[in-house]
Amino acid sequence: MSSSKKSSDGKSSEIEEAVASLTMPFNKILLTSSDGESFEIDEAVARKFQIIAHMIEDDCAGKAIPIDNVTGDILSKIIEYAKKHVVEPDEDEDEEAKKKLDSWDAKFVEKLDLETIFKIILAANYLNFEGLLGFASQTVADYIKDKTPEEVREIFNIENDFTPEEEEAIRKENAWTFNG
Amino acid sequence: MSFMEKLPTSPKSPLRRRRSSWTGPWLNHPTTSFKQVVSAVIQAQSPRSRFKSLSSDFSDVDRTLSLSDSLLLKILEKLPESQNNDVALVCKRWLCLQGRRWRRMKVFDWDFVMSGRLVSRFPKLTNVDLVNACLNPLRNSGILLCHKSISFHISTDSSSNWDFVEENLLDNEMVDRGLRVLGRGSFDLLKLVVINATELGLLSLAEDCSDLQELELHKCSDNLLRGIAACENLRGLRLVASVDGLYSSSVSDIGLTILAQGCKRLVKLELSGCEGSFDGIKAIGQCCEVLDELSICDHRMDDGWIAALSYFESLKTLRISSCRKIDSSPGPEKLLGSCPALESLQLKRCCLNDKQGMRALFKVCDGVTKVNIQDCWGLDDDSFSLAKAFRRVRFLSMEGCSILTTSGLESVILHWEELESMRVVSCKNIKDSEISAALSSLFSLLKELTWRPDTRSHLSSSLEGTGIGKRGSKFFKKR
Repeated sequence: MSSSKKSSDGKSSEIEEAVASLTMPFNKILLTSSDGESFEIDEAVARKFQIIAHMIEDDCAGKAIPIDNVTGDILSKIIEYAKKHVVEPDEDEDEEAKKKLDSWDAKFVEKLDLETIFKIILAANYLNFEGLLGFASQTVADYIKDKTPEEVREIFNIENDFTPEEEEAIRKENAWTFNG
Repeated sequence: MSFMEKLPTSPKSPLRRRRSSWTGPWLNHPTTSFKQVVSAVIQAQSPRSRFKSLSSDFSDVDRTLSLSDSLLLKILEKLPESQNNDVALVCKRWLCLQGRRWRRMKVFDWDFVMSGRLVSRFPKLTNVDLVNACLNPLRNSGILLCHKSISFHISTDSSSNWDFVEENLLDNEMVDRGLRVLGRGSFDLLKLVVINATELGLLSLAEDCSDLQELELHKCSDNLLRGIAACENLRGLRLVASVDGLYSSSVSDIGLTILAQGCKRLVKLELSGCEGSFDGIKAIGQCCEVLDELSICDHRMDDGWIAALSYFESLKTLRISSCRKIDSSPGPEKLLGSCPALESLQLKRCCLNDKQGMRALFKVCDGVTKVNIQDCWGLDDDSFSLAKAFRRVRFLSMEGCSILTTSGLESVILHWEELESMRVVSCKNIKDSEISAALSSLFSLLKELTWRPDTRSHLSSSLEGTGIGKRGSKFFKKR
C-alpha cells in the first residue's frame, strides 16, 4: 500500500490518525460516536466488536467508523471494558489474572446505574460484543435475583397486567400441574 | 401522569417491536437522555397530546420496554431455576418469554392439557410426559404409589384389588383428544410419553409434529402400533405393554411386525412386558437396519426367540433386564448364529437360573467386548462358566451377584485373553482369601481394576500405593 503521507503542519492529530489508518490498517481504528466523540483504539480491541471485526475482514475499515447508535459516554465505557478484556485469561491456567479481572469488572459495574447498564446492553448488542453483553445481562439478572415478582416490578416499573384471577390461575398451575 | 401508567405492554405494542437500531435516531441527538427518548416516543405515538410537562421522571417508565425480546431473554436466562415461577408472575410479557424457554415437562393435570393452557403457556416444548396426567388424581390422599416414572395417589379404600391404575386411567378417547390438542400447539415436539393412547391419537399427533423422534407408549397394544408408521422420523421407541400390578395389555408378534415395517429408521428400541416370539423379533432385526440398542425388559416371549438376535446386523448394545427367565428352549446351538456387531451385553435384575437360555444368549453374543452383570440371581459358578463362550471381552463388571465364588470367576476370566479392565462390587461370595497367584498376576496386568467384592475386602486397601489396579500400563509389561 503506498503511503500518502501529508505534511504534518498544523493538521489535527485526528485527521493524521485517520490518514494513518488508511495507510496502516493493521494498527489503529477510529470510532466516532453518534454525538461526534472520537475514540482511537487498537485493532485488537476493535475486533472485540464483531460488527467491526467483519468490517476489517471485508477491508471497509479504512477511515473512521461512525457508530450511529451509541452516544459518546456509553461508547467510552464500552471501550474501557473492551480494552481490559482484549485477552481473556484462561480460568484453568491463570486463576490470579481471572480473579483480578473479575474484581475490576465488579468495580466497573458498581458505579453504573441501571439506566446506563441498559444503554450498554443495547449498544453491546448493536456492536455485537458478546462478552460485554453477557456480563451486562448478568448484572441486570443480579438485580432481580431472588426477588419477588412485586419487587421486580418495582425495580423496572413494570405494570402488573394480570387480573387477580389470572395471577391465581398461574400460581396454581405453577404449583400443581407440571414439573420441569 | 395517567398516560404514563397506561404505557402498553401488550404484544401488539409498537414499543415492543424494537431492535436496538430503532432507537438510533433518538439516541443520536447529543443531548437526549433516555427519559426524553421515551417521552419523545410517547409523544410520537399520540400526536395530539402535548405532554410538555409529562413528569418525565424516569422512574415512571417501564425500563425493560427498550429491550427486545431476545435481549430480555438473555437476562432471564441468567436467573436461577428456582426463580422460574416468580419471573412468570411479573407481567404478561415476562410470562410469555419465560414460557418459551421451557423444553421439557412432566404434566400432572389433564385439564391443563385439554384447555390448551399447556401449549399456550409453553409453545416450545420438545419433551412432554403425559403419563401422570392421564391418571385421575386424588390429591387429598396420603398414599402415593410410584413405579419408575409413574406416580399417582390412591385412595385408602382401594386396598383389595390392584386395579387402581385401570380404574383411574383416562379412557382412550380422552387421551386421543388430548394428543390432538397437544399436537396442534407443539410443533417442535421431539419426545412424548403417553399412556393408553390409540392409533388415531398417534396418527393425528404424527401429522402435526413431524419432527417427533422418541416415543414412549405405555399400555401399548398391537392396535396402537398401527399408527406408528406415521411417525416418519422416529428414532427411539419404548413400548410398555404390561406391568405386573399396574396394567396389562398385549403386544404380540403382530404388533412387533407392524412396528418393524413401520419404523425402519429406529436406532433405539425397548420392549417391556411384551409377548411375541422368534418371528416378531426376527422381523425387527431384518427391517430395522440401523438399530443400535435393544432393551428387553420383563419379557413374556415364547421360547426360541434368542436365535432371532442374529438378524440384528447393526446392534451394538443388548440389555436384558427384569426377566424371570431368558429362554427355556432356545433350539439347537448350531442354528443360533451370532450377532455380528454386538459390543455390549448388559444383564440387570434377571434370574439366571435358566442355563439353556444363558448358553444360547452367550453364544449369540460371543463377540461382545463389554459385559455387565448387575443384581442378578441364580448366577452360580456353572452358569458363569458358560461365559467362556465370549471371545473378546475387554471389560467386565459384576455387581450384586452373591453366589459366584472366586474360583468360578477366576476360571472364566483367565480364559479371556483380551481382558483389560474389571469391576467387581458387592459379590459376597468372592473372597480375598481365595485369590490365587494366577488371579493376582492377572490383576497386575489389568489397566483398571475396581475390587470391592465385600465390605471387608482387604485387597483394595492393600492395593493402595502399589500402583496396581490403576491406569498405567507403563508400570507393567503387557503380555
